[in-house]
Amino acid sequence: MDDKTKVLEREQLDIESLRESDVDLRLPAVVPREPYPIEPLAPDARQQTRAVGQRATRSDGRLHGLGQTRYIDDLSFPGMLHARIKRAGIASARIKRIDTSAAEAMPGVMAVLTGKEIPTNSFGPSFQDQPVLVDDLVFHAGDGVAAVAAVTEQIANEAVAKIVVEYEPLPAVLDPVAAMREDSPKVHAPDSNIYASKVIRKGDIEKGFAESDHIFEGRFSTQMIEHVSLEPHAAIADWDANGRLTIWATIGRITLARSDMARTLKLPMSRIRIIGTVVGGNFGGKNEITQEPALALLSKKTGRPVKGVFTRGEEFTSTTTRHPIVMDYKSGVTNDGRIIVRQIRLVLDGGAYCSWSETTLGKACILAPGPYKIDNLVAEAFVVYTNKTMTGAMRGFGAPQVCFAYESHMDDIAKALGKDPLEIRLLNAFDEGSPSPTGQVLHSVVVKESLRKAADRFGWEPRS
Amino acid sequence: MRAFGYVAAKDVGHAVALLGEHGAKAKVLAGGTDLLVDLKFAADGPEVIVDITRLDELKDIAIVDDGLRIGALVTHADLMRSPIIGDMFPALADAAHSIGAVQTRNLGTLAGNLITCVPSMDSGPALIALDASVTVAGPSGRRQMPLTDLFVGPRKTSLKPAELLIDIAIPKENLGKPLAFEKFGLRKGQALALVNAAASFWIDRDKSVFVAPRIALGAVAPTVIRAPKAEAYLGGRKISAEAMAEAGRIAATEAKPISDFRASADYRRDLIAVLVKRALANAQARATTKEKELVA
Amino acid sequence: MTDVTMTVNGLPRSASVPPETTLLQLLREQFNLTGAKLGCDVGDCGACTVIVDGQAVNACLMLAGQADGRQVLTIEGLASRERLHPIQKTFENSGGLQCGFCGPGVLLSTKALLDENPNPSTQEIRDALSGNLCRCTGYTKMIEAVQEAARRLREESPAQLTHAQI
Repeated sequence: MDDKTKVLEREQLDIESLRESDVDLRLPAVVPREPYPIEPLAPDARQQTRAVGQRATRSDGRLHGLGQTRYIDDLSFPGMLHARIKRAGIASARIKRIDTSAAEAMPGVMAVLTGKEIPTNSFGPSFQDQPVLVDDLVFHAGDGVAAVAAVTEQIANEAVAKIVVEYEPLPAVLDPVAAMREDSPKVHAPDSNIYASKVIRKGDIEKGFAESDHIFEGRFSTQMIEHVSLEPHAAIADWDANGRLTIWATIGRITLARSDMARTLKLPMSRIRIIGTVVGGNFGGKNEITQEPALALLSKKTGRPVKGVFTRGEEFTSTTTRHPIVMDYKSGVTNDGRIIVRQIRLVLDGGAYCSWSETTLGKACILAPGPYKIDNLVAEAFVVYTNKTMTGAMRGFGAPQVCFAYESHMDDIAKALGKDPLEIRLLNAFDEGSPSPTGQVLHSVVVKESLRKAADRFGWEPRS
Repeated sequence: MRAFGYVAAKDVGHAVALLGEHGAKAKVLAGGTDLLVDLKFAADGPEVIVDITRLDELKDIAIVDDGLRIGALVTHADLMRSPIIGDMFPALADAAHSIGAVQTRNLGTLAGNLITCVPSMDSGPALIALDASVTVAGPSGRRQMPLTDLFVGPRKTSLKPAELLIDIAIPKENLGKPLAFEKFGLRKGQALALVNAAASFWIDRDKSVFVAPRIALGAVAPTVIRAPKAEAYLGGRKISAEAMAEAGRIAATEAKPISDFRASADYRRDLIAVLVKRALANAQARATTKEKELVA
Repeated sequence: MTDVTMTVNGLPRSASVPPETTLLQLLREQFNLTGAKLGCDVGDCGACTVIVDGQAVNACLMLAGQADGRQVLTIEGLASRERLHPIQKTFENSGGLQCGFCGPGVLLSTKALLDENPNPSTQEIRDALSGNLCRCTGYTKMIEAVQEAARRLREESPAQLTHAQI
C-alpha cells in the first residue's frame, strides 16, 4: 500500500512546476522595444542572383509555335452570331434617315442595332465624345452607323449592304491648322476645335532672341500612322440569365473598359466581366472600347453570343492612329552653336474624337524641346478636332514625332553654321542634374556618353 | 465573299464552252491572286467562276518549232525554277521574282498578270521587248496576236468574254536574245513599280553596234509601251555607255508618267532614264557572259 | 455546294462547302484548324500561309475547291507526337515570336524554304519571309531562328524526322 502511494506522489507533478513549464514558449505580455531602421532598405545592387541575368524564353513562345494560342477569332461558342458594322463613308454629314428594314427582313439576320438604341451613346477614355453608333451627326468616315448580327459573316455583310442611310453632307474639317481658326466649321459644335492645349514657359524668349547670333526656323510635319497589329480588333459579347455581361476582348485596359461599358449600357460595373485575351499586337491601339457596346446590345437582343472582328480596312478607317503633328520650331543660337532660346508650336491632328490625345499632347509638349539645355523656352501645343480618323495612343505617345522635328532642326542648324552634327549636340545635350523643360531634375543622364559611344561604334568621322 | 457558281473545267475545250455559255457573267480562275481580291471587294461580280487550274496542258514551258511557249498556267515561281528560262531568258525570271512574295508567286500566273493589265505590271515589259505574242482560244477556234494588241488600257484587255488565253509565245528568231529587266519600287518586297523597264538587243559579230534594239516601259503610260525613238536612236549605233545613257534620256521623253502619292512625274522621268540605261548595260553583260559560256 | 477531299496534315479530310469558301475558311471553320489566321484577306500579310503540295501559299487567296485532291500542311501538322519540329524549337529559343499572330505563317514559310534550300543565305531567308508581315519582332530573331533551324535540320538524319514530310 505504501509503494502505491509513493508512485502516485512521484508521478504527480506539482501545479507550480506545471505552471512554469511552458514559460519559454509564451510570448511576453509586452513586446520588447526594438529599434526599427529609419533608412529605406537598399537592395544589394549588382549581386548575382539565381534569377537575374539568366536567359529566359517567353512562356507563350511554345504555344505560338504550335499554333495553339487562341486569339479571339479562334474562339467559338454554340449559337454564336457574327456582327458587322456599317461605316459612314463620309467625313461630315447629318443623318436624315436610316432604313434597316431590308436588312431586318433577311433570313439569317437576327438583330439590327442603331444609335438610338444605345442607352448612353457616348464613350471615351478622357472625354466621352465618341458615339457607339452615330445617330444624328457623322464625325468621320469610319463612324459606325448601324450594326447587324447574323448567323454567318456572309449574311452579315450582305445585310449591311442593304441598310439604306441618307446623308446631308456638311463641310468637313480636314486640316488641323486651318481648324484652329475661329471661322472654321466646328467638328463638335458649339465647342472649339481646339480641345486641349498645353504650354510650357521658361526664362524670357524675347531676351533670348535678342541675344542670339543666329535665328533658325523650320516647320516639320509627320503623317498619320496606323498600328497594323496583325490581329484586328475583335470581341465576343454574351449575357447570362442573371443579367451579367461577359466580353472577351483584345483590350489592354480592362477596368477602364468596364467603366466605359457600364456608362454606355447603364449597367453597374459589377455586372460586367471583361476577359482580356491573348492579343495579337496592341501597340496602343487596343486600349479602349470600340465595338463592344454594340456587340453587347446585339447579344442582348438576340440572346446569343455575338462576335465582331474588324476587317483590315476598318483597322485603318475606324480605329485609332498616331497623331500627325505640324511642328514649328524657332531657335536662337550663339556663333558656336549653343542654343539659348527655343520657341515651339505643335498642332496635333486630333481626329474625330479625343481618345488618348490629352496624354499624347502632354508628352509631345514636354519632349518637344529635345534633350538639350535651353534657358529660354516656350512650347505651346494644341490638339485639334478634324473630321478624320481618330488619333490616339501609339507607342511613343507623341515622342517620335517631336524627335523627328528637333533632330532635323538640329541638323539644319549644324549645316547652316558649318558645324559637325555630333559636336553641336554634345555642346547642347543634357548633363547629370539638368532640368527637364518642366523643371524636373534629371538623374542617370547618359546622353553625351551614349552619343560618343555610338559615334565610336559607327566610326563617325567629324564633318562640317 | 458573295455567293457564286463554281465549275472546274476538264480541258481547254470545256473551259471555252463554259465561258461561251456564261459570257460576261463568268470569270476565269487561274492563280486567283487578283480575282479573289476582286470577288471580295468589288461592288458586283461574276455569277460563275470557271476554274482552269486542273488543265495540265497549260502548265508547260517548252521550246517548239516556232519558238518558246509559256503556258497560261505557268506561275511566277515556275518561271523562276525553269531551267529553260534560267538558261535563255534569266530576265524573265528576274521580272517574276520582283512580283509580290513567295506565296503570291506560287499561285499567280504570268498570263494572269498580263490579263489584269495594270500599267505597272512587271510581266509585260520583258515580253514586249521580245516581241511576244499570245494565243487565245474562243468559240471560233484559236488565234494569235502580238502581246501589245492584248493591252487596251488600265485593267482593260482586248479579250472577249468567251475567250481564254492559252499561252505566251516568243518567236524563234528571238530565242537567246540578250534581255534585261529593271524595276524600281519604294521597297524591295511586295512592291509596286514606280517605273519598270526592259531592254533587249543583239550584238553583231564585230561587237560594235546595237541590232534590233527593243525598249519597253511600264507604269509610265496607260499600258506598257515601247520607246520607238530611243530604239531608232540605238539601231546600228556603236555600243557605248554614252549611247545607252542617251537612249535612256530619249525614252524618258516618250513616256507619259503621272504624279501620284508615290512619286512625281518628274521623278518617274528621271527613273526611266536610269532604268533604261541599266537595262541596256545588263543586257550587254548577259550577252558577254553567254558568249563566254559558249566558248568555254 | 462544292465537295472537297484533301489530305490535311497527313489525314484525309472532306467537306461540302459553298463555292465561295476560301481555303482559309475551310481550314478554320470546317476543320477547326485555327492556326492559320485572317490578317488582311487579300494576300498581303501572310498570316494565312499554309503549304499546299509543297508550296507556301496564301490560304485566303485560294478557293476551297482549288485544294481538292491536294496535300495541305498547316502549323498543326508540324510537330509530331514525340517532339516539336526543329523550326518550332528554334523560334521558341530565339524569341522570334512575340504576340505570335504571324507565327504559324512564318514557320510554314520557313519550312517551305528549308525543304527546298537547306542552307539559305540571309538574303534568301529575307526573300522567303518577305510575304509574312510581323509588327512585333523586327525580324532579326526570326532570321536567327531560321539559320539555327537550318543547321539542326542539316545535322539530322531522315529517320529522325518522324512526322510525314508533306
